[in-house]
Amino acid sequence: MSNGVNGKEPHMVIENIDLAFGGTKAITDISFTVYKGEICAVIGPNGAGKSSMLNVINGVYIPQQGSITFEGKKFAKMKPHSAATMGIGRTFQNIALFSGMSVVENIMTGRNLMMKSTFIENALGIGRSKKEEILHREACEEIIEFLGLQSIRKTPVSSLSYGLQKRVELGRALAAEPKMLLLDEPIAGMNIEEKLDMACFIQEINRNRGTTIVLIEHDMGVVMDVSDHVVVMDYGAKIGDGTPEEVMSNQKVIDAYLGVSHDD
Amino acid sequence: MYYRETGQTVKNYTEDRRMVPLREDRWIMWAFLAVLFIGVPMFANDYVLSAIFIPMMVLGIAALGLNIAVGYTGQLSLGTAGFMCFGAFTAFNLLFRVEWMNVWLAFLMSGVVAGLVGIIFGLPSLRIKGFYLLVSTLCAQFFAEWFFNAYPWFLNNSTSGVAALPPFHYRFLPYQEQIFDLFGWDKDYNAYIWRYFIALITTVLLALACKNMVRSSTGRNWMAVRDMDIAANVIGISVGKTKINAFFVSCFYCGIAGAMYSYCYIGNLDFMIFNLRRSFLIMFMVILGGLGSILGSFLGAIFVYGWPILLTRTADAVFGGGTLDTAFIENNSKIIVGTFIVVLLIYQPMGFAGLWNSVKHKLRIWPFKT
Ligand SMILES: Nc1ncnc2c1ncn2[C@@H]1O[C@H](COP(=O)(O)OP(=O)(O)O)[C@@H](O)[C@H]1O
Ligand SMILES: [Mg+2]
Repeated sequence: MSNGVNGKEPHMVIENIDLAFGGTKAITDISFTVYKGEICAVIGPNGAGKSSMLNVINGVYIPQQGSITFEGKKFAKMKPHSAATMGIGRTFQNIALFSGMSVVENIMTGRNLMMKSTFIENALGIGRSKKEEILHREACEEIIEFLGLQSIRKTPVSSLSYGLQKRVELGRALAAEPKMLLLDEPIAGMNIEEKLDMACFIQEINRNRGTTIVLIEHDMGVVMDVSDHVVVMDYGAKIGDGTPEEVMSNQKVIDAYLGVSHDD
Repeated sequence: MYYRETGQTVKNYTEDRRMVPLREDRWIMWAFLAVLFIGVPMFANDYVLSAIFIPMMVLGIAALGLNIAVGYTGQLSLGTAGFMCFGAFTAFNLLFRVEWMNVWLAFLMSGVVAGLVGIIFGLPSLRIKGFYLLVSTLCAQFFAEWFFNAYPWFLNNSTSGVAALPPFHYRFLPYQEQIFDLFGWDKDYNAYIWRYFIALITTVLLALACKNMVRSSTGRNWMAVRDMDIAANVIGISVGKTKINAFFVSCFYCGIAGAMYSYCYIGNLDFMIFNLRRSFLIMFMVILGGLGSILGSFLGAIFVYGWPILLTRTADAVFGGGTLDTAFIENNSKIIVGTFIVVLLIYQPMGFAGLWNSVKHKLRIWPFKT
């Protein structure tokens, strides 16, 4: 993995984002850059505004101010649909799977943007319908194999364990062949084996597919291990930005994490 | 017990996405189709066709239509009978006014017209959800009643509300007359046996089309919007388009059900029967049969429609015909249906379809228990 901060092409530039819900400010004037092909970790205490930041990036929340430049195109606000079209994939902190569908169906939904057959073709089983279904099924099976979900591909997702559900959600995001993946606490709440598996998957996706990854994570060990670049948030503001080593030696960050009040 | 799955393997994805994956299920299906296409026409009399098979299929299609909106896409709707009404009127006006019209094209057009009306009344779903949407779809019901009252031309200017209809010309085969001559059949195109076949073919085709949609991207998008619309949006599914699409398809089915209702079942056109009560009954069929299940839609229709008939017949058989007051039987059947709905939904929220699935699961793993 090359170090993203030093002399790499920016993939996404976030500038002066402000987000408030009524009176409460969730994000205050945040700017940072995510470089192509890096793993960028966003860390910070609970309520720091990390999930809100991801929601701004893919258009679920609309910021009051600021801009997002993705692959050279500048947006004052994103729309979820166009974010998906541009190649931004996403998993959620609280699992957001389609609970009434099986594993393979969930993953297949991830490819909806590539499936062009109309409902009439699908209803009659004519035209592109069958071919597309088989073609994309093959692509999804590769993901199923990569994530080790073969034995449960037909299982309804609602009956899976938390760890497996997280994995399926990653699979669904991956199915879209995103250029950038936003992962909101993909490792939280798992047991140690599941954590290791998930960390490996994330690194492999980054390495083999060249996918840029923005990752929210609490486990500092994992963050130090996998990330090229760390952004630290506290109370909606950015308090640190740099390589893991730089960030870890930053006094503000240490304070935020250890809860020490730091008087100047 | 019945199922023997050992050795049934799939070798490719085409086989894996078969409509009916298990060999044993395919046998059941073929046997069932053989009964419907050969057995029933051979042995059933007009009463059985007109009072049991035809209405059950018609209502099954209406329930399936509603299920597409409610069960598959999660959009509540109480306008079912209103959409059926538009379908029925389209079929009537086409067959009545257009010389070269045939039943199949008329049915197709009733679906399309009802579907377009459905899009209009589905538009609020872009903004509102749940009970509020229920109210907005209710408007479709009242709109239909008002519309056909206000424009009696569509009813052939009948003043009674029931169109005094000229005999329907059932044109459902190419060279129909010649074919009937050839086989020496009685040219009563209005006979129940032909209505039965028209209803049966329509039902089978629509059920197949629905199955095809729900196992493809169309159905997955519906279910994605139902299960979690924000996540659907984030992976690029256009939630608005999907809802509108679901409303169109749902109302397309309801529209054809309406056309079948007047053409295959009751044989006249009366917009008063497409009332709110019918919308509710169809909603019961969907809930009882199983949300998001094709089989369930038909099971629900069979039960809700067939139960009172079964009860009346049983009462007649036990107590002798005519001894019991029909109102008494009717009220009792309502009480029993109501109780049954409550009990069933407590134990099996997925209705008859859920019940069938759990029975099937037991049969598949027998002699093991879990
Ligand atoms: N939809 C929302 N409506 C109101 N407040 C919100 C909403 N989403 C987040 N917030 C608030 O924004 C702040 C940041 O939340 P969040 O982004 O979830 O933090 P993190 O993911 O870092 O734990 C919190 O104070 C939270 O209560
Ligand atoms: Mg969060």
